[in-house]
Order: sequence, then C-alpha cells, then structure tokens
Amino acid sequence: MTNEEIWQAVLGEVELSISKVQFTTWFKDTFILSNENGRVVISVPNGFAKEWLENKFKAHILQALRNFQENIKEISCVICNPQDKRQCQIKNIDAIKAPKQNQIIDLHPNGIVSNTQINYSVGLNPRYTFDNFIIGENNELARAACYAVSQSLGTNYNPLFIYGGVGLGKTHLLQSIGNEISKDGHQKKVIYISSERFTSELIDCIKNRKVDQFKDKYQQADLLIIDDIQFISGKEKTQDIFFHIFNFLYQLNKQIVISSDRPPGDIQILEERLRSRFEGGMIADIGNPDLETRIAILRSKSAEKDFFIEEDLIKFIAENIKNNVRELEGALNKVIANCQFGRKPLSMESIEDTLSDTISSSKRKCVNYKNIIKIVADFYEITSEEIIKKGRRKKIALPRQIAMFLVRSELEASYPEIGEYFGGRDHTTALYAFIKISKELEKNNKIKKDISLLQDKLYRTN
Amino acid sequence: MKLICTQNNFKKAIFNTERVIGKQNTLPILKNIMLKTEKGQLKFSATNLEIGIITKIGAKIERKGKITIPARLLSDFVNNLPNEEKILLETKNQTLTITSGNYNARINGLDAADFPIIPKLKSSYLVSLMAQKFKEAISKILFCVAINENRPEFSGVNVDFLEDKIILAATDSFRLAEINLKFSDNEISDNYRDFITKKNTAIVPYNTFSEIARAINTETKKVNIAVEENQIFFEIDGVQVVSRLINGKYPDYKQIIPQKFSTRVVLAREDFLRAVKISNVFADSKSGEINLKIDSKKSGLIIQAQSHESGENKVKLKADIVGPSQEIILNSRYIIDGANVISSFNIAILVNNESSPVGIKSINDKSGEILEDYVYIVMPIKK
Repeated sequence: MTNEEIWQAVLGEVELSISKVQFTTWFKDTFILSNENGRVVISVPNGFAKEWLENKFKAHILQALRNFQENIKEISCVICNPQDKRQCQIKNIDAIKAPKQNQIIDLHPNGIVSNTQINYSVGLNPRYTFDNFIIGENNELARAACYAVSQSLGTNYNPLFIYGGVGLGKTHLLQSIGNEISKDGHQKKVIYISSERFTSELIDCIKNRKVDQFKDKYQQADLLIIDDIQFISGKEKTQDIFFHIFNFLYQLNKQIVISSDRPPGDIQILEERLRSRFEGGMIADIGNPDLETRIAILRSKSAEKDFFIEEDLIKFIAENIKNNVRELEGALNKVIANCQFGRKPLSMESIEDTLSDTISSSKRKCVNYKNIIKIVADFYEITSEEIIKKGRRKKIALPRQIAMFLVRSELEASYPEIGEYFGGRDHTTALYAFIKISKELEKNNKIKKDISLLQDKLYRTN
Repeated sequence: MKLICTQNNFKKAIFNTERVIGKQNTLPILKNIMLKTEKGQLKFSATNLEIGIITKIGAKIERKGKITIPARLLSDFVNNLPNEEKILLETKNQTLTITSGNYNARINGLDAADFPIIPKLKSSYLVSLMAQKFKEAISKILFCVAINENRPEFSGVNVDFLEDKIILAATDSFRLAEINLKFSDNEISDNYRDFITKKNTAIVPYNTFSEIARAINTETKKVNIAVEENQIFFEIDGVQVVSRLINGKYPDYKQIIPQKFSTRVVLAREDFLRAVKISNVFADSKSGEINLKIDSKKSGLIIQAQSHESGENKVKLKADIVGPSQEIILNSRYIIDGANVISSFNIAILVNNESSPVGIKSINDKSGEILEDYVYIVMPIKK
C-alpha cells in the first residue's frame, strides 16, 4: 500500500467514528508526508489541526494505521501546505512585476480585478448586466429608467419602482444597476437584498438587540436595492424600519430602487406613508414580451450557450411560450439538453415533443369554467353564485361578462355552452358579453389590466 | 470549577477574547469561550481556527475545572450587570452559574474537552516592540491589503525580520505601502538573530493585524512577537494572540519602489489633500482620473479633473519643487488614501515620469528632510 492509500483507509475509518463537521474541520487537507522506520509524519494545514490531531486523535490514528502497517510506533504532525510549492513557482514569475498597475488599469479602469467576488459580498450576481438585457417594447421604459439611475445615482428618479410579473426580468434590471455601480470601484456602497431576507435579518437583529446596527448598515448605502417588496405587506415592524431607512437615504439623495410584482397601489396592507413614497418617484412596469422580443431573447440565449438553432424553430418556441422569460429560457435549455444528449436531432417534431408538456401546461393547465368563475368572483370580491344567479347590478354584471369572455377565450367554449355554464342563459348573452369585453379591451386600460391579472392567476394557481 | 474574581477583570477578559469569534462557524463550539482554571488563574480562550486568543485573570479558586460558554450570551449578561465588586462562578455538569450581587444566571455550556487546543508558543518571544509605534505602522499599511483577492498572499501583510528592523509591506497590485520599524538591541531577545538566519519573512492575514491594532489601547506599552512553524504569536497586555500565516511567497516588491525620484514636490499635506479630494468629486467616477501638472519654473502644482457627467475643476497650489516639470495622470482615490495616513505637516510627492510609480513620503517637520521610513507608491494611469 502506498502512503496515500493507507491514509485514505485511515480517514475512512476515522470518518465513521466522529461527526462530519469534526471530520472536515480537522482532517481536511491532511496527508502522510513520510513513513519511515515506523515513524509516520502527517502533514496538516494549520496549527489548530496539529494540536488537535496530536492531542485528541493520536491513539485513534495510531490504531487505525496499525491495521494496515503493523510496525508503526509513532506519529507526529507538521504544518505545511502541499500546494504552496507549486503555486510559488508559478507566482514567482509574475511576482516580480507586482503592482503592474497601468496595464491592469487599462483593462479595468477602476482597479477592480475580481468583480465577481466583490459583487457576491453585496448579493449581486455579476451575470446580470445591462449589456445582456434584451430590450423590447414591453421593458423599454423600465430599462431606460434603470440605466439612467445607474448613470447618476440619486438624481434622476428616486425612488425608482419597477413592477411586472414573474420571470420578466425585474431582478435582472435591478442587479444590472448594482453591477454597473460596482464597476465603478470601491467608493459606492451597494446593497441588494430581497425584502424577505431584509425581514429575516431584521428579526435576527431584534432578537439580538442590534436594531441600531441593522439600521446603520442600510443607512450607509449609496444605492439600496430591494427586490420583491410586496412581501413586506402586512409586516408592520419591517415596514416601520424600512420607512425610516427609506427617509434617511432619501434625505441624503441616496438612490433607492424597488421592485414588486404589482404597482404600489395594489400592494395590500402597505402603510399609506410608504405607498405614497413609492408612488412619489418613478414607476415603470415590465410587461409580457412581444413575439419579436421573445425571438430576440431566444437568439441571444442560444448564442450565449454556443448553440445553433434554426430561425423557424426559434419562432416556434417563441410563439408557444408567451408569458414568461424564465420559462422561455427553460424551454430553450430543455431543447438544447435533449439535442446534446443525442436523443433527438433538432427538428420541428422533436421540439414539439420535447416541449409538449411545457406548452400545454402554459396553455391550459386543467383550467375549466368552474375555476374561471371562481377566480373572477374572488377577484371582484363577489361569490360564484352571484355570477351565475340572475341580477344585473353593475357590480355583478361586469364580472360575469369578464368571466364569460375568459371562458370563451381560454377554453374556446361555444356560446350555447357558455350560456349553459352561467345558469342557463341564452347564447346571445354570451356572444354580447364576449364582443363587449373585446371592445373594452381596446380602449379601457383598467379592464385590460384586470384581464391580464386574471389570466395570470388562472395559470399560476393551477 | 468554583471561583471568585473581580467583575472588572472578568468583563475585560471577555471583551478581549470574544471579538475573534466569528458568525458563521461550522463547529458550534467555536461560538464559545473556554474558561479554565490554570495555576491559580482563570484562563479565557476563544478561536475561529484562524486566530486564537488567550487571556488570564487573577482569581480565588476553590475548585479547579473548565467549561465552554456561548460567548454572546456571556458577554450580553456580564456587560449589563450593575457594577459590583465581585463575581462568583460555579460549574455543575455542563452549566455555569454566575452570581454577581443580586444577579444570578445559569448558562448552559458545552464540554471543554471538545474545544480546539490553541497552539502554544514553544520558545520565547523574539521581539518586543513599542506598541503605539506598531499600531501606527499597521494603520499606515493595512488599507493597501487586497481583501477580495484571489491571490492569497495579497490578502495579508508581509513582515520582513531584519537585523535591526522589521519591515511591513502591503499591496493590492495597484498601490503599495511599506514601513520600517527600527528597534534597538534591548527590544529583541537572544534568539532573534538566530531566528532571522533561518527564516525571516511571514505573511500575516489582514484580520490578524486589524485585531492586533484593536487590542492595542492607548495605555499599551509593548507588543511581543514570535514566529513558529507557520504561525505568528503576539502578546499585548497579557493577551496572547496566535494566528496562522498565509502560505506562499510574497512578491519581490522591493524592485518596484524606485530608488531615486527625479522630481520632488513638497507642500502642506492639508492643502494637497483638500485639492485632491475636490478633484475627486469631478473625476470620472469609473477611473477616478486626475491630472497633476508640476511646473518647476513657476513652483506650482496644478491638479485638474474632468468628466462628462460632472464638468471640470482646476486647483493651483504653491509648492517647493526640485527637478524637472512633470505631468501625470493618477487615480484620485489612491492618492487620497496615501495622503491620509501621512502624519507630518508637509508631504512629499515624488515623480520620475508619467509611466513609473509615484511615491508619497513624510517630511521631518523640523529639518525639512524627507523621511525614508514610510513610502507609499501608486502607479500612474497610462494614456
């Protein structure tokens, strides 16, 4: 047995007898340095491991060693790191030119070499930048606002409030601002946090009586980005603390950027003073991407992954997955994976096959007229019975028409069928409702927004 | 374990040891402080497996023993106690009962046998430096350390042990600071000379030095230092600190520091710092570029900055200039950092040409000579 094999065997034995944490703490990066005349020298990475092995595990290790080599009498530990030697040799070469600043500065004018690491410390993912954000009609305004903010903090739009549905790129935009600022060097302090983590951090601080420290931390920010603010709805203390931090930063002209899945006015249980502050800045929404944007996204993603995919196939995917950029990316990944594992050559049929469940699920995932009625009723705070029963009060008539419209557009039910569903009404009633709402959709923004929210709900809850 | 000690000493010992305890530790016991009776004293130990701290206080010991107690809990309790003369500790199984006046607490601990063994110094301390001078030296170089660096040797301070001095140096590969700490023969121990023939450099982690700087208070007189087998030991007012050293070889930075500078500019530090800070406001926020024009004929220094976003500014300063005129572009933030730590009234800016390092040094306020013990160098930005 070589020393390496012996040591692996010993480790295997030791691992069983102590906890995993203990094992990784003390035995990581250890190995047998020499094994001569019954004396074994074990290399350990630091002084603590040396003391621990020599004082606590000596007998244990010795016994384990003897199982494999009987003549071992003695063990000792020395501190050293095998990688050092190799690294030193490599580094000696460039060490000579150490602060070779002008060259590096040419590349990174701000002097940050390891962007990645720095950004992790503030919770930013360096993958999200403005450069790889694809602009479409749906997100033009939001992107422009974010970019303007990143170019001069605290002056243009403060606070900036971005809202839009799931997977449409809110986080991407928010992180892009942070990354853009971090590019500028150490001077600006960026904090990116989701409201949920904000809350849990606050809870920790309350528990440890360090609320002041918590406030201090956030009040030092030059740029505070809070993602998914809607989750602070109903959390009074968080709202309270956030309000103070918000005011403090706002007074000092520090930039605040917030995102949510709905406009501030629609966030429930949000204190009035916060709501009005959110509405006081710039509000931009991100809508669903249109076909062209979806195609552009798919193209850029497949280029990013170095994967060639034909135009008409891209178009097919884009046409079938409409509501969500994340799903779009997922679909593309699936197609790529399937192709790369060699299971199927790339063709319209194979893609259709691969994406069959995604497409059908996004189209109608066990939606039926009952849950359309229920969701519409819930949305307008009436009961399902009221929709079905007779009665022409406006409060009920409009939801009824919307429900009919949805049953028609989502389930492609026939008008007589719809009449049947809604308490045995005439098919012309259903026809009238459909035409009316279709017309309203074109001119009435409120209804348009309601319908898209309802569609969203329909497919998300199922 | 059963003992009585003064509340004041107890608080101080906890204050000195608890700082090292990190937040995220895999081993739960690392959140604890170990209390142990040893030779008529009470010993406190804490560690994060990178740095270990030991301190001892006098105590009247009735029964020997040891236990580990969650540091946070212990310090929160003890720090809020009203001032009382004495504090009474008693352990029973794995709980510690603390009594001070009318206050009493029972804290659940963990078995001291599981606590890491903090490495002990085997030989004796090598040097004993003036604490205040040492602290000042740390403050003058520590800001140059690259904290988020993928090259581990840059994440620490290089310490060179020489015949008659210690040299501390730090760099993040854009700027570099070096300070010489001279000592007299009575500050070193007998085995110091012996030591430097074998090994004379060490890279000390950033955190260790910042911890040392914090541990030195205004009344501290001496800092004892020893190096042994990949570890460095410090002793400050009876508190022992041991830290791992960073493996690796520090870059041979000496040759980057120019031996001679052709142009020397001397002016009041305050004025210079103000001018650079103002230019920093106007400088491009990405590169922080400012332009330094040194006009030796007019004895003037012009600092300029401009950017599309903010506009431009220009500051003219009178200065004592020796050598040819120069024009260089620098990163304002690096210059501010360097000028900030100069403690003399005047500051010397030393330049060779627009592509070689710029030096910043202190001036002896009485004689007007440049002091050579500290140097800070920055590379100019190339156009």
